Amino acid sequence: MTSTDRYLDLVNSGVTQKIAKQLGLPRPARLRRAADRRPGAPLVDGPVLVLGDGPDADALAQLLSGTSPDRKGWDLDVRRHAAEGTRFAAVVLALSEVQHPGDLAAPLLALGPVLKTLAPGGRVVSVSRPARPDHAPALAAARQGVDGTVRSVAKELRAGSTANGVVVADDVPVTAPGVLGALRFLLSARSAYVDGQLLAVDSAAGSLPADWDRPLDGRVAVVTGAARGIGAAIAETLARDGATVVAVDVPAAGEALAAVANRVHGTALQLDVTAEDAGARLLEHALTRHGRLDVVVHNAGITRDKLLANMTPDRWEAVLAVNIAAQLRINEALLTSGDLTDAPRIVALASTSGIAGNRGQSNYAASKGGVIGMVQATAPLLAPFGGTANAVAPGFIETDMTARMPTLTRQVARRLSSLQQGGLPVDVAEAVAFLASPPAGGVVGQVLRVCGQNMVGR
Amino acid sequence: MAPTTSGPHGPETPTTRRAVVVGGNRIPFARAGGAYARVSNLDMLTAALDGLVARFGLQDEVLGEVVAGAVLKHSRDFNMTREAVLGSPLSARTPAYDLQQACATGLEAVVSVANKIRLGQVESGVAGGVDSASDVPIAVSEGLRRTLLTLARAKTVPQRLKAAAALRPGDLKPATPRTDEPRTGLSMGEHQALTTAQWGITREAQDEIALTSHQRLAAAYDAGFFDDLVTPYRGLVRDQNLRADTSLEKLAKLKPAFGTRLDTPATMTAGNSTPLTDGASTVLLASDDWAQAHGLTPLAAVVDAETAAVDFVHGEDGLLMAPVFAVPRLLARQGLTLEDLDYVEIHEAFASTVLTTLAAWEDKEFCVTRLGLDDALGTVDRDRLNVHGSSLAAGHPFAATGGRIVATVATALHRRRAELLAAGEDRPVRALVSVCAAGGLGVAAILEAA
Amino acid sequence: MSAPDPARSEERLATSPALGGLYARAGLAAARDAVTAPVRRVLGGTGDEPADLPVRTLRLDDLRPDPAHLTAYQHLLGEPAADALPAGYLHVLAFPLTTALLVRPDFPLPALGMVHLSNRVELREPVRLGDRLDIRAWAQDLRPHPTGTQVDLVAEVRRHGAASGSPAAWHGVSTYLARGVRLGDQAGDTARPARERFEAPLPTGRWALDAGVGRRYAAVSGDANPIHLHPLSARALGFPRAIAHGMYTAARALADVGARRGDTYAWDVDFAAPVLLPSTPVVRVAPADDGWDVTAWDARRGRLHLRTRVRPLG
Repeated sequence: MTSTDRYLDLVNSGVTQKIAKQLGLPRPARLRRAADRRPGAPLVDGPVLVLGDGPDADALAQLLSGTSPDRKGWDLDVRRHAAEGTRFAAVVLALSEVQHPGDLAAPLLALGPVLKTLAPGGRVVSVSRPARPDHAPALAAARQGVDGTVRSVAKELRAGSTANGVVVADDVPVTAPGVLGALRFLLSARSAYVDGQLLAVDSAAGSLPADWDRPLDGRVAVVTGAARGIGAAIAETLARDGATVVAVDVPAAGEALAAVANRVHGTALQLDVTAEDAGARLLEHALTRHGRLDVVVHNAGITRDKLLANMTPDRWEAVLAVNIAAQLRINEALLTSGDLTDAPRIVALASTSGIAGNRGQSNYAASKGGVIGMVQATAPLLAPFGGTANAVAPGFIETDMTARMPTLTRQVARRLSSLQQGGLPVDVAEAVAFLASPPAGGVVGQVLRVCGQNMVGR
Repeated sequence: MAPTTSGPHGPETPTTRRAVVVGGNRIPFARAGGAYARVSNLDMLTAALDGLVARFGLQDEVLGEVVAGAVLKHSRDFNMTREAVLGSPLSARTPAYDLQQACATGLEAVVSVANKIRLGQVESGVAGGVDSASDVPIAVSEGLRRTLLTLARAKTVPQRLKAAAALRPGDLKPATPRTDEPRTGLSMGEHQALTTAQWGITREAQDEIALTSHQRLAAAYDAGFFDDLVTPYRGLVRDQNLRADTSLEKLAKLKPAFGTRLDTPATMTAGNSTPLTDGASTVLLASDDWAQAHGLTPLAAVVDAETAAVDFVHGEDGLLMAPVFAVPRLLARQGLTLEDLDYVEIHEAFASTVLTTLAAWEDKEFCVTRLGLDDALGTVDRDRLNVHGSSLAAGHPFAATGGRIVATVATALHRRRAELLAAGEDRPVRALVSVCAAGGLGVAAILEAA
Repeated sequence: MSAPDPARSEERLATSPALGGLYARAGLAAARDAVTAPVRRVLGGTGDEPADLPVRTLRLDDLRPDPAHLTAYQHLLGEPAADALPAGYLHVLAFPLTTALLVRPDFPLPALGMVHLSNRVELREPVRLGDRLDIRAWAQDLRPHPTGTQVDLVAEVRRHGAASGSPAAWHGVSTYLARGVRLGDQAGDTARPARERFEAPLPTGRWALDAGVGRRYAAVSGDANPIHLHPLSARALGFPRAIAHGMYTAARALADVGARRGDTYAWDVDFAAPVLLPSTPVVRVAPADDGWDVTAWDARRGRLHLRTRVRPLG
């Protein structure tokens, strides 16, 4: 259950739409979401422009157009030049070969006019390489410049369009599974609320799915906190992508949990994740019932907000116990079991509070910051098995939790992002599903924000 | 497949094989007029099935059959269990039937499903039960009912007028269902008060049984024992009747509730008797093959069962004493004694039901003359008795109690067996389940850790 | 005493006598007097009252029990609606005849106000729906009682056409007491035996008797004695409330024994304190040496209502 954004409805229909336009009020758009699209709909609704020169750009263009024999399933109308009057659905900026800040001028200036006619819910995705201290200063400047310009484009876009980037490590080809997976995710309707993000692909690990619509076929996923809100959406999204889902929540949430499990044709496991044997029980359930365990989504989390000046030990400890200590203990049990060896995926829910901090959430931010550190340090432990650990940091998401905020605070919070609205639980779930998917094997120890480019934090 | 034997005539017929309890699910039991005051038997049974399907991933599964029942049942629920299946995520191709044996409905359903599995007639099944003391059927009075029936048969206006004229103002008063024994006019509590008096059971002993039940049920909840057995419903997370903080002092303050009109020592109170309760339970049973194919761990096998009945109408035995007769027969058939049981579950219809049952088994004269034994049956170790609490604490929605007990004790058996194996002790781990029922009925069953 | 005295004159009735007019004829005032202030009369002494019982047998032939009436009786008493006629139902069939004896002018005792002391019934042969029945009734054995005079009203049921000397299928003796009425040769009050002290055993059941029980049994049995019908009419006759028909309670006791009584049985009842309506007497059904005892009493007052003994025959 999510709260409804009345303002979003008003500015998108009838008389109130006109009034809002005349008054120059923020006019958040209805986002292009996978759930609203008919099955088998194309990845994007129109031609895709690939800007940039060089082998990488050519390779990406070839790949997107589906002309490469081993890259089925894309089949896009790819153009290399912006023709007057063409309404593009997406633009891919191939910037991996820039050497000097001056190299940015041509592709970015070419992008400019295209933005004016970009289709609603359009996508701009850059593919670049990371800047490192050991680079020549000009190279590093050019590469880091991509970061700034993409984030700025994201803030300029309207009508539910987004701009994001994929940052590919030097030793990883731009056609690696991780790049393709990220590119596809960012172009698709699945990334509706991901905006202004640069996602690093640090390894060539990962594999391409047989069916892009069901990348998790044959995989078994555990989702904690699955009874409602974001967790329920994650369970549903993973199941949609083909996973067999073990839905976990505290016994007290069992009724809603059972409903979720039945909806996704999975199994319900009533379990307090803070229990000493939680990891063992998760594993035992997954192995005996479903024969394997591939994906663990640490979604269970609680808030006990209080200014630190007024903080009580029980509030602090409860939040830390559920939000990070339980995850650490479960991960340890899973990693030492020797049962997670086939490209396992751990995805943990962080929060923009854990990145930027939030007044009254010193305990929560400690736990969520902890999640970020945890995935960064856990990822290397999984790497030998082709596994990854990553985090998703939601911004303002329309959930039961945010529905309890005071009305004005809630309305302001919604507009504090480039997309001028809150996200939906499914938006977070889509990001989780992407990170859990086989192609995302090259995304390691990252934090993917799903915040509509919230102004909070980085 | 089940092992088969070739008969001298006709095709091969299956011999028996094991039927195992794979797990269970129930909703927390609510006090009458409490959390489930506005939901129906069908609602509750469907909710319990929903949770079972979710726990074991049975969505769209075609099970062998679902067998359940309710003691207090609306006439519209003539096919209640089938309706519950149709309302659940199970495949609509799963057959079902209703069964009713008063408070033994749930256990008898377990036995029925287990027997079909053992005979190879089905591979899997759900046994369950539900009852609502809140949403009870209310009928029209006998007079109004007869008038309406006559009216329906009347063909002419004068006939109809004549039929309608037979109606008396008193006929408009509705008739609420009574659970009194039809042949004696005594309530179950009054019957048990008589048995209590007959066996000289004290108030203190009854209160102690009640206290232990609450303490053990609360401890089991706290230990997470019911995490895999109970799914919350309508905001209720634990059994509403559970009083973790009760004490002998509090129990001692309660006024006697039963037997006060019978001139018997008044020892039975609301504290040491089960309250009217709403709730539903289910148990998933299967063949070993089916369980394995579905990645499910057998918890316990349903080994054997025995039903007995007593003549309480003619004062021969107490209304709820039938299990006293069923159990020795069952043990004898299995070559077992009370000492061979790791768990003994005696349904706490009343604390004194448990105590009169134990007293009878400890009474040499009774055992010799009435049970035909050579000696007293023996003493049940209290540490093995109703280890995770029973009906006094959990409540007793009549038909749902059997399922509650079987799922609970099967889980306990499985864990105990694992503990013993871990300690290097490989021996059978068994439980006895005994449920008394209205009409002088009693069902007992033996389960063994799978 | 099982066969009527052949010397008796038989009076054949065409139909079962209607009972409704009985109490009207006897008059409520007379009835109240009979109950509250028994007239102290001496039979066979002075006046024109007969000193002896009329030598007469009333006879009703070829009675065919009505299934609907039988079913109504069975449902009211908690008997299964089987085709076998319960002994209590045969009593109901014979009752109009015995009552008709009482209301004849030549009957020496006052019809109203007599107390039903006991009832002895033997059902020697099963009687079934569809059987055609002959019923005979007579009075006998007028004898002294510590508080008055008692008399036996005897009825027999045979299959239609059976010789009157042949064994009856059903034989019933109802013993009534006329309080305060003395036989001529009775010298004062006979010594009253000490009332038996009743020690209540543990009950096995309870009868929930509402205020309408008397009216419902009256409708089925035809015994519309006002003391059973309504608190007001009962009060008019000196009872604080309506009282249950003795034979209703006796038949409930018989039904409580149930199928174990067999097809043929003896059914004896001794009535003690009347059952005021509404009330909830407790009962004990217990095996006796060769049958079943059913005792009903008021648990609160510890007062015995009736003892019933049911004994299977052969």
